[in-house]
Amino acid sequence: MKNTSNKTQAKQVELPQGFSRESLKTVAVIAILVLAFTNWNAVIAILINAMIFIYGLVGQNFGIALILFTILIRVITWPLNAQQMKGAKAMQDLQTDKDWLAIQKKYAKDREKLAQEQMRLYREKGINPFGSCLPTLIQFPILFALIPSITFAIGSTPLSILKLSRSVYAFQDVAALVPLNSKFLWMDLGLPERTLLFGLSIPVLALIVALTTYVQSKLTMPPSTNPNDQAAATGKMMSIYMPIMLFFFSLNYASGLAVYFITSNILAIAQYAMMGKVDWRNLLPGSQKK
Amino acid sequence: MRKKLVFIAIILLAAVFLSGCTGAIAWPGLAADGQTAYLANTTAVHAIELKSGKELWSFAGDDTGFKLFNTNPSLYVTTPVITEDGLVIILDSGNKHEMFAINPKDINQETNAPAVAWKFTGAEGNWIAPPLIVGNRLFAPNADGNIYVLDMEDGQSLKQAIKVIEPFLNSEGQPGRLWAQPVSDGERIFVTSLDHSVFAIDLETYEIIWHEDLGGAVPGGAALGSDGMLYVGSLAKQLEKFDPLTGEHKPVLDTKGWIWGTPVAEGDNLYFSDVDGYFYSYNIKEEKLNWEPVKPDNAITASPLVQSDNILLATETGSVYSIDSEGKVVLWYDELKDGKAYTTPVSSDGYVLVAYLETDYYLIALNEDGRQAWTFPAQ
Repeated sequence: MKNTSNKTQAKQVELPQGFSRESLKTVAVIAILVLAFTNWNAVIAILINAMIFIYGLVGQNFGIALILFTILIRVITWPLNAQQMKGAKAMQDLQTDKDWLAIQKKYAKDREKLAQEQMRLYREKGINPFGSCLPTLIQFPILFALIPSITFAIGSTPLSILKLSRSVYAFQDVAALVPLNSKFLWMDLGLPERTLLFGLSIPVLALIVALTTYVQSKLTMPPSTNPNDQAAATGKMMSIYMPIMLFFFSLNYASGLAVYFITSNILAIAQYAMMGKVDWRNLLPGSQKK
Repeated sequence: MRKKLVFIAIILLAAVFLSGCTGAIAWPGLAADGQTAYLANTTAVHAIELKSGKELWSFAGDDTGFKLFNTNPSLYVTTPVITEDGLVIILDSGNKHEMFAINPKDINQETNAPAVAWKFTGAEGNWIAPPLIVGNRLFAPNADGNIYVLDMEDGQSLKQAIKVIEPFLNSEGQPGRLWAQPVSDGERIFVTSLDHSVFAIDLETYEIIWHEDLGGAVPGGAALGSDGMLYVGSLAKQLEKFDPLTGEHKPVLDTKGWIWGTPVAEGDNLYFSDVDGYFYSYNIKEEKLNWEPVKPDNAITASPLVQSDNILLATETGSVYSIDSEGKVVLWYDELKDGKAYTTPVSSDGYVLVAYLETDYYLIALNEDGRQAWTFPAQ
């Protein structure tokens, strides 16, 4: 452990006073987020052009283009996801660390001192307390920019096609490509999906989104035995609320977005499985308590 | 628990806020009958008294039941069509695919809503194009690739659904949607499609007489010129002339940008604009431009409003320009509140009506000299 600490200190020598490597990472993430939100239209344009470029390559099938685009996004954000998993694991391991438990006990009644000691421990062990959520934050602009990108790309109103024409780069012949073919399987990707089953209009895709989101969050949630584990509590909470949130998104927005969510969830499970992080027991009821 | 709720609320708010950063999704539809303006403005169609600018009533469909989650909202943006009998045809561009004929003379005193004379729900795609009424028949193009022919006698009975295009992929690999109002020469109707096609359909047999490809989507409609020929602009940046009998066609003019709005024929002249902001005056007889295209400011999607002594153009910046017969451009109305005008202006009862997006009001009435008479809602 001392070696790790020395290594961290050696690297910090080159940084300005008061700045650790981890705090610089945090600043970088905030800078990226600010840059994305102040150039929102440019972010949307990048996503639209990527989708249209793939659409042209795969024989004008927007569904396949969207799935390939999702794979591309997953590949690009692979290092971020890996870092997120690493950060979450480090935070979880810390919960059972004897030094961590000792300071929790020692400074239980002095919150200020406890916070100082926790920060010291983070530094010593080279852990960024935001290490698991910063990579997620970077992905938020991509997720939120996808909604207008898919809406414009498929274009079910004249204004959306006009906006699409302004976002497409000059090298793509948008006049020849529009309107994009939005038919995929039984769906029109430009509209919210409903399937008529037994006389009832069922949002099948939205239900699959909710199910895959739940399964993904359950499978990728690291097991925790500590009842005071904040990260585990947040993860558990998100595994309930995220499927609900994405269900309502899929219910109201173009079904292309639901295709993105489902593909992304399946790929996330695959990525975790490849890294040996999937815990299938989590799907069983009551498995967390064991 | 409180922290958790705050966290969830922040995520939900961020999601709703950011996903809503797309701005408006459609521009409004506008029509007027000399006494009342009808504005289809996303959630409802508003009837506005021309003299005062006051709302007489609004119509947002006939389903007034309570909904916990309105997951299938209506979208009213298609230009309303006023029939000779005074009915107003209103189309829902959302996913319910409903078409209503409402009677503005029959207002429910309790709800202040007009009576629904009839309702048609047989289409499978969105309504974007206003229907065309020929005699006692209504021809309604739909995004599902059909033109629905309804009998105006009894309102809603379907005479025919003419399959014009495939809504997803046609033989040329293009998906098609019918977004523009057809035009008729009395024997045929002419229909344009986003799948780059122009069609002629026989009014009696409902058969497709000819079908031609333009190489670019056609979001606007066709115009019949004084020479009896059909003129169509497209995203291929060309104005094409068609023989209405055979469909034989040739490009007559290259434009600088996409032609979006339907050209307007007046005498021997054809007026139209492009999304690069240029306005064209084309002489049909002499087959040449009357003057070099003028560019008032920004993109133009609306058709020009041709009046007796000038032509009015509404641009994306919201400004309205007056152009005389020599091509001289004058700023006629300056929109100062960042509103965007994509809808074709309408002239009625001495007012010029301009519909706006992204500003404090949806509609403005201008006097003949370009001064504001009123706005809706009132400012």
